[in-house]
Amino acid sequence: MLILLKGGRIVDPVNERDEIGDLWIENDHIVAAPPDRLADEVHDVSGKIVMAGAIDIHSHIAGGNVNTARLLLPEKHQNRVPNPPALPLCTAKWSTFETGTIYASMGFTTVIEPAIVPDQALQAHLELSDIPIIDKGTLTVLGNDDFLLSLLRDGEGPAAVADYVASAVGASNGLGVKCINAGGATAFKYNARTFSLDDVVPFYGLTSRQIVEALQRAVLDLKIPHPLHLHANNLGIPGNVATAIATIEAARGGRLHFAHLQFYSYGSEGEKGFSSAAADLAAAVNAAPNVTVDVGQVMFRQTVFISADVLRQFNLAEMARPKKSVIHDGDGNGGGIVPYLYRENDFVNAIQWACGLELFMLIDDPWQVFFTTDHPNGAPFTTYPEIFALIMSRDVRAEAIARLPQDAVAMTTLPSIAREYNLNEIAIMTRAAPAKLLGLKDRGHLGEGGLADVAVYSPGKDLAKMFRFAHLVFKDGDLVVRDGRVIHYRWGKALKINPGYDKAIDRRLAGYYDHHFGVSRDLFAVTENLLPRAGAFREVACAR
Amino acid sequence: MHEARINGKPVLLAAAAERAAEILSAARMPVIAGLGTDVAGARAAILLAERLRGAYDHMHSTRIFADLDVMRQAGLMFTTPSEARLRADVFLFIGKDLTKIWPAMMERLSPAEIPPFDLARERRKLLWIAPGRGAKADGLTIETLDSSNLHTTLAALRASAAGRPVRCAKSARRKLDEFAEVLKNARFGVAVWGGYSLDSLSIEMLHGLIRDLNKTTRFSGLPLGYDSNASGVVQTSGWMTGFPVRTSFGRGFPEHDTWRFDATRMIESGEADAALWISAYGVEAPQWKKNVPLVALASPQTAFAREPEVRIEIGCPGTDHDAAEFARETGSIVSRKASHPSQASSVEAVIGQIAKHLGGDA
Repeated sequence: MLILLKGGRIVDPVNERDEIGDLWIENDHIVAAPPDRLADEVHDVSGKIVMAGAIDIHSHIAGGNVNTARLLLPEKHQNRVPNPPALPLCTAKWSTFETGTIYASMGFTTVIEPAIVPDQALQAHLELSDIPIIDKGTLTVLGNDDFLLSLLRDGEGPAAVADYVASAVGASNGLGVKCINAGGATAFKYNARTFSLDDVVPFYGLTSRQIVEALQRAVLDLKIPHPLHLHANNLGIPGNVATAIATIEAARGGRLHFAHLQFYSYGSEGEKGFSSAAADLAAAVNAAPNVTVDVGQVMFRQTVFISADVLRQFNLAEMARPKKSVIHDGDGNGGGIVPYLYRENDFVNAIQWACGLELFMLIDDPWQVFFTTDHPNGAPFTTYPEIFALIMSRDVRAEAIARLPQDAVAMTTLPSIAREYNLNEIAIMTRAAPAKLLGLKDRGHLGEGGLADVAVYSPGKDLAKMFRFAHLVFKDGDLVVRDGRVIHYRWGKALKINPGYDKAIDRRLAGYYDHHFGVSRDLFAVTENLLPRAGAFREVACAR
Repeated sequence: MHEARINGKPVLLAAAAERAAEILSAARMPVIAGLGTDVAGARAAILLAERLRGAYDHMHSTRIFADLDVMRQAGLMFTTPSEARLRADVFLFIGKDLTKIWPAMMERLSPAEIPPFDLARERRKLLWIAPGRGAKADGLTIETLDSSNLHTTLAALRASAAGRPVRCAKSARRKLDEFAEVLKNARFGVAVWGGYSLDSLSIEMLHGLIRDLNKTTRFSGLPLGYDSNASGVVQTSGWMTGFPVRTSFGRGFPEHDTWRFDATRMIESGEADAALWISAYGVEAPQWKKNVPLVALASPQTAFAREPEVRIEIGCPGTDHDAAEFARETGSIVSRKASHPSQASSVEAVIGQIAKHLGGDA
């Protein structure tokens, strides 16, 4: 099947294209214009914007904690509109099926679930298998797991740590390594109520800094394409910008991805002891080219905090709206689920919203800052179109700022910022840069040989509408969305790495599970024949 | 090999599947009940329920919702058996049926062993409320507290732990205070209960106690869950529809209501006019009395009050075929290798056969 997208504005920063032109697709790949052949299918996309499919590097879409949140809040996701189901379970709000459908209709074709602890990996992959259309990937959460901490305590050295990390990521079919409040969840089991970079984990005698350094080193040694994905200490606390800057410095020039930076951009100035320190933090990021960040933008609406930072979630439980929460002292990280309502007229929430936008605006390089809401922690991913409008239009921002408590606005620099993202920068931030960050050479661009993941948008005055309802979306060359509606399901792959390591560590791990947990490690295997469809995975090479 | 029957007469599986599809698609409101199956079976059943615009329920829903209703009304703090085994310095067991619910519990939690991750590395304390006769943990003295009303006992214990007044006999008061002191001094305490002993109000009271204790120390809960992969089916239902079992597609989208979509109630009241009963783990049969057309996917030894219109024998997940299911021993969905692989059909495979006759596949 040869498809021609004719006469659109092609925005492809990787190939330095921003011009009116044609795009050819043959089967699942993008091809050069074939001489002497007619397309089997021609789409006139004149007046439209043509981009690669978007990639979300950090969105909580699967796994035990997400599912607990669904079960905790049945009243928040009821469908009330009788509509015959066009596609299986697409009417089920917050289901895996709806998740894939909404992402696709916005032009997203790859989404990374960033927080899967090894003992939840099978459930996570079962859930991901039921997310239609998009490709997926998971990051394996390490850094509060007793085996790792005991290796570090016993001074076993980087080779043993790397073997273990490779084994854990391999067994959970992950695409990279995530670390969430390193040591903090374990310290909480020993009744710590705060935990910072140089605090010591009881029983193990290790600091958070040491754990992060060890994982960063292992990721480097294993040549895992995605740098260590870090959820730092002290999330959400006034004055935590100091922790964020210290964490960036602690990377000592090594590659590090700092997740949902907005939640770490708080000062403690002013009468209420809460202010935006986003400008200082953006400056620190601008000075650290080894570091990438994603924003974790807040939007005003009901949402729910879903996090494996169980210590933070426990401390937040008092603020739950509605007033109920789940705290899970799980193996390794565990997690917590705390519903929350961000309100426009709330002083703190307004500053949080502004902090995110300041980071978007003040971090200079769109290759360094990534577009996320930390779904659903800052806001559900369904708010992305509104956020595109906010960063692309000063006027849209000004209107939104005018609705906020002005004493809150005064604690930020947002009103003074004139920057507007252009489409090329949007394409970098949501396509080109995520593909590079994750080591996915086959996507994020529209060059010859690339995967035919393509999103076509209808430009208009209403930027949010443009991004909410893609005109056309192709996944692997298959037209799946027309005018913002999914036409049919197809089933994407889970992207994973398979780093090489000395298998002797597997025997040690088997013994550790038998002795400590009293169960076989085999129980936690992500067995491919238990997933609903064959060929669920695609391997991404470990090399840099 | 599987066996299939229509009205008691042996037939080929294909014929049974076709007849099952006729019965279910002819119904105004079919209900899928029992739902004792692995993740793959539950997944197939829920997709089938949507196509039939029917409802689905699990045989252990009453007990599922004893815990789940507390979680979604008040919240929950819970841990895993591994964490309990490795860290708990204090166990609070509640009810006489814990080891009946989970025969391997003592071995798995090893209360008599010193918790390897406890800083003090002292012998654990085991408190047991309403232990019944014969409660023992080899090598460990159990402190017991009898109770004729668990809700009242838990309320009194919570009050005592919070330093609030409790009115009861002096001797009982002393015991309560002793228990409360142990709980407050726990470093990582774990309360263990099963749904057979505690109703929602008692579980909520226990949860309140756990929350209170966490103001100064660490304490968590370990609900033992229910058989026939109830937790695994609830999880699967959660990601597929957003809701647990007792969900209906009657209006074209999933609606969840623990009263309206109780399978037995729907059938007894005449709201549901056909049923698909699934029980792959044991020999459970439907509890309803009313006579509705019944398709049963059941273990070979199942005894039905009345011969189902269609009966298809199925294998046991994790025994006859590999399965993903919720494991009580880990508190998560695990990969279970077939212990005695056989040709017996899985629920997923049989539903796949039935769905073929509904046009297209899910």
